[in-house]
Amino acid sequence: MTGHRIGTREEWQAERDELLKEEKELTRRNDELTMKRQALPRVPVEKDYRFETEAGARSLAELFDGRSQLLIYHFMFGPDYDAGCPTCSSIADTIDPQVPHLRARDATMICVSSAPIEKLAAFKRRMGWRFEWASAPEFNADFGFSLPELQVRENLGPVLENPPPGLTQNAEATGTDPVGYASQGFGFTAFVSDGDAIYQTYSTTGRGVEFLMGYYEILDRTAKGRDEGDAPQTWIRRHDEY
Amino acid sequence: MPNHTAGTRDQWLAARKELLEAEKEHMRQGDELARQRRELPWVPVEREYVFETDEGEKTLAELFDGRSQLLVYHFMFGFGYRVNRENPGCTGCSFVADHFDSAIPHLNGHEVTLVAESIAPLEELQPYRRRMGWSFPWVSSVGSDFKYDFGAAFTEEQQNGGAEYNFRHVDSVAPQREGLSAFALEDGVVNHTYSTYARGVEQFMGTFGLFDVAPLGRNEKVPSEWWQRHDEYGS
Repeated sequence: MTGHRIGTREEWQAERDELLKEEKELTRRNDELTMKRQALPRVPVEKDYRFETEAGARSLAELFDGRSQLLIYHFMFGPDYDAGCPTCSSIADTIDPQVPHLRARDATMICVSSAPIEKLAAFKRRMGWRFEWASAPEFNADFGFSLPELQVRENLGPVLENPPPGLTQNAEATGTDPVGYASQGFGFTAFVSDGDAIYQTYSTTGRGVEFLMGYYEILDRTAKGRDEGDAPQTWIRRHDEY
Repeated sequence: MPNHTAGTRDQWLAARKELLEAEKEHMRQGDELARQRRELPWVPVEREYVFETDEGEKTLAELFDGRSQLLVYHFMFGFGYRVNRENPGCTGCSFVADHFDSAIPHLNGHEVTLVAESIAPLEELQPYRRRMGWSFPWVSSVGSDFKYDFGAAFTEEQQNGGAEYNFRHVDSVAPQREGLSAFALEDGVVNHTYSTYARGVEQFMGTFGLFDVAPLGRNEKVPSEWWQRHDEYGS
């Protein structure tokens, strides 16, 4: 830890008051962004996708489970993985406790991956999760979260010669190599149903999924912060592996 | 809720990309605020606080549980939103606390201990925790000034005569309010580094993060009116 200033309560208070103004400003700006998200045009989903679930085949409409909003986390678990991505697992950890509150606001939250349902079901049991997790390679590919090898190699390019620690570590943890691991993408997509039609309203990836990583918001309030050095997320393990 | 327009993929993408720039800007501002938090001076905690825990009495330093950072959630118990004899834990604090267990393995793996603290005997906290199915550490601060000193509980005099809550003066205040305080342990000294209250605790409620990207947003007419404990929704 690098030389922290020790201050009096009054000194702390003066700086905390300044920071609070900015925190409130940031909260208000987030409220504005939320309004802008809701104002995005909605794109009708025209294709009839098929999802394999533990209870059998389902359509996208059926996955709403009687509610008007469907929130999907695209969980990196490709057909060649032998376990789910550790970082995606840390995100999935947050889902079950939120479900009662989400349902109360008319939203269903699930995960979708490209691996066969048997693999997903076995890993779900290991992790103790209850949320719906569907296998849908075509859906994932159409929404850009599953890529053919040639495109992965093109995307990674020179990165493959010297892959960053996060990539090699997660590739190893999923029993793949960097190309195999990166054949899957992570992200979040939201849908709304209106009568017989289903619309996509929102999609995000990259740092855009940090809102699903509850520990980051908490770490951001600690004295050391995220404390990740130059290798973001390499400290993250599946919850049974710490 | 704004009026919705159905659009083509191209129209959506153009609007989405514009929004993405604003989202990135917002994220960078969030990073900057996290940096400023790390720069706040540390204030050594001079008083000795003792808590009742599942493993007996512990000092504030002992609550760190061998890690260098401690977060204490000031959980309203025996007073709060929709609280009665059968439901003694605040509904809002219970909603916040629903997010703790899933974060704890990751926080613990990264040098951070998270506990909840309430002014109520352990014998009252434990059955409520069992009912809610939680496993995070929850300690009793009965007989200690801890919750008062860190701005989340108020004496009768303060309740009627005014106090500071969320870093500003309020003319009257409830006996308890929600909040979270952060501490760092270094060279045997416990330092207070940060506290947040009111909407500041929304940051720990990932459910709100999801609503913020959901088609209908928080989907509420009156904020908090729809909140229930997770076993009370009946769905």
